[in-house]
Amino acid sequence: MQRRGFLASLAATTMAPRLGWADAGSPSYLAAAQTATGTYELHGLTQTGDSIFRLPLPARGHAATAHPSLPHAVAFARRPGTFALVIDCARGLELARLTPPQGRQLNGHGAFSADGSVLYTSEQVAETSEGRIGLWSVPGYRRLGEIPSHGTGPHEIRRLPMSDDLLVANGGIATDPTDRTKLNIDRMRPNLARVTPGGSLVSLAEPPEGMHQNSTRHLALLPDGNAACALQWEGDPAEAPPLLALWSEGALALCEPPLEEAFTMANYAGSIACNHATRQIAITSPKGGAVQVFGMDGVFQATHRRADVCGIAAASGGFVVTDGNGAISRLDADGLHPMKAHSVQWDNHLIALNAV
Amino acid sequence: MATTRSPLKLRRLLAALCLTPTLAGPGAADVADVVQDHALPGYHRLTGATAALAGIDSCAAGPLRSAWNDAFDAWLDVAHLRLGPVEDDGRVLAIAFWPDPKGIGARQMTQLLKDADPAALKPDHVAELSVAVRGLFGMERLLYADPALPDAYACALTHALADDLARMASEIERGWQEGFAAALTSPGPGQRYLNDTETRQALMTALITGIEFNADTRVGRPLGTFDKPRPERAEARASGRSQHNIIRSLTALRAMAHALHGQIPQTDAAFDRAIAQAEGVDLAGLDDPQVWLKAEILGQSIRAIRDAAMAEIAPALQVGVGFNAADGD
Repeated sequence: MQRRGFLASLAATTMAPRLGWADAGSPSYLAAAQTATGTYELHGLTQTGDSIFRLPLPARGHAATAHPSLPHAVAFARRPGTFALVIDCARGLELARLTPPQGRQLNGHGAFSADGSVLYTSEQVAETSEGRIGLWSVPGYRRLGEIPSHGTGPHEIRRLPMSDDLLVANGGIATDPTDRTKLNIDRMRPNLARVTPGGSLVSLAEPPEGMHQNSTRHLALLPDGNAACALQWEGDPAEAPPLLALWSEGALALCEPPLEEAFTMANYAGSIACNHATRQIAITSPKGGAVQVFGMDGVFQATHRRADVCGIAAASGGFVVTDGNGAISRLDADGLHPMKAHSVQWDNHLIALNAV
Repeated sequence: MATTRSPLKLRRLLAALCLTPTLAGPGAADVADVVQDHALPGYHRLTGATAALAGIDSCAAGPLRSAWNDAFDAWLDVAHLRLGPVEDDGRVLAIAFWPDPKGIGARQMTQLLKDADPAALKPDHVAELSVAVRGLFGMERLLYADPALPDAYACALTHALADDLARMASEIERGWQEGFAAALTSPGPGQRYLNDTETRQALMTALITGIEFNADTRVGRPLGTFDKPRPERAEARASGRSQHNIIRSLTALRAMAHALHGQIPQTDAAFDRAIAQAEGVDLAGLDDPQVWLKAEILGQSIRAIRDAAMAEIAPALQVGVGFNAADGD
């Protein structure tokens, strides 16, 4: 791994001229969108919601991930994914188009290693939905191999801070090889797996008793090395269980909102973000048209309403949220306020480039 | 789109495509119609009906039940409008805590009656009680208890919950009058809704969600499966309102659909069919396979209303269900 990292940085430094995220206009966020004419794009956005670059995508996107130093963004296709696009955001060029090997599907998310030498992609075996993590070289973006995700239907994947290990949200749902039809709702077993770059399982956390139909799908990293997970409930809708869980090495604890907030999120959390400074975690629900904010201790604080909200990322004093009506809104102690309206429909995720 | 270019269509197209501040106009007529002809009068009737319920001083079951049923009817006329003031302070569930698969309401009510703490009946304290014991379903447990609750505490609690309900209804009506109606009819930059597209989408979402609630929850929960029907899960079973609630709700949703868009022949036909079928399905009898099959067909017919509305009203309003809400990933 160290040798690979060294080679990658060597390759990067010999590329002339060496461009960084500043050359891409120093965007704060990345987001995929559908345009008014039905085409698809990846946008670089500022703190105040202005779009400073837009690059075409071949089909509907889902999420993206950014290289820690090179101005490379990887835009992932909507599930079941057949492509991930590596874009040089400084030059506006497509650097590579990743296609999963035969029999594998991309699941919409990915992450870079700490040194930026490896891209990890969330994948599944098309036939069985068994989870895999694909490994790709950087900056060549060639397939290096794959490791198990230690679960079914993995979705978001994040590299843990102060570590080379990955945290994988294995949503537990097996899907039809050709579409998103869910095949195993009765017996699904979601988990959060901590996996080494070599593929060994460090720890496996499952939802508590009676919660095996609460699909673990999206992740936010906490400053103490733990994480928060946004869930999607596949069981009896009237039960309306908690949709936020805190992950602490090998264990998941659900964070229950007050009873009167039980149905606010329509059993669906689409994205999650953590603001380390305000010590808050927020989850979004496009189905419920709501954002719920919790303290980093998992205690509920407030609900904010906005139709079709989904993308969310930390911002100064709170969060920035995007929605399917094209607005980019600020969410802070004063509430949720639209800042900019764009004539696009923002897709599921807003990716913060704060690691840059 | 370019072939038929009536001014109305052009206006809607512009509203749909252009989210820039300059086009924030006086608001859309369809949204204003829903606000003026459906929401405001509906909430006004709810305020009146709950005030009448709260105005009853006696403990006699007859008048209390009668006024409670009127209040429940008034609620069903607006219950699908899940936007604005009713969403604040947990009011939706504080007015109608159902479904309740874990029986939280029954359990907490038993405890409340057992404790019989007079302090809990003070208005400020009632508002702090769990939403599961308050509102229409909390009162149903008291008014339709079998055997009847004779004691004075149950009667005092009934009066306290009626006062609490009336307070919430008047707060919601005031919230609409003093801001939320204007937010819907005059959207613009810096406002809660940025443009006509957003206000139309909000109302369309309420309409569709309301229709789906009848199919999936009011019919779907007691329906269970053919081998295991669950009649005990029907809404407001103790008061015998299960079937009536579906008919009342669908009738209100049809009125809202008409306020949203004038000519809706397919949607109308679908409403007619489902309401006629609902009149022949007593959910209490779901153990009978014949009734079960009728109820299953009713559920399908209600979903057909949703499909008709999506085909007929959504394109006319230039809105769809949410981009992300529909994606689900």
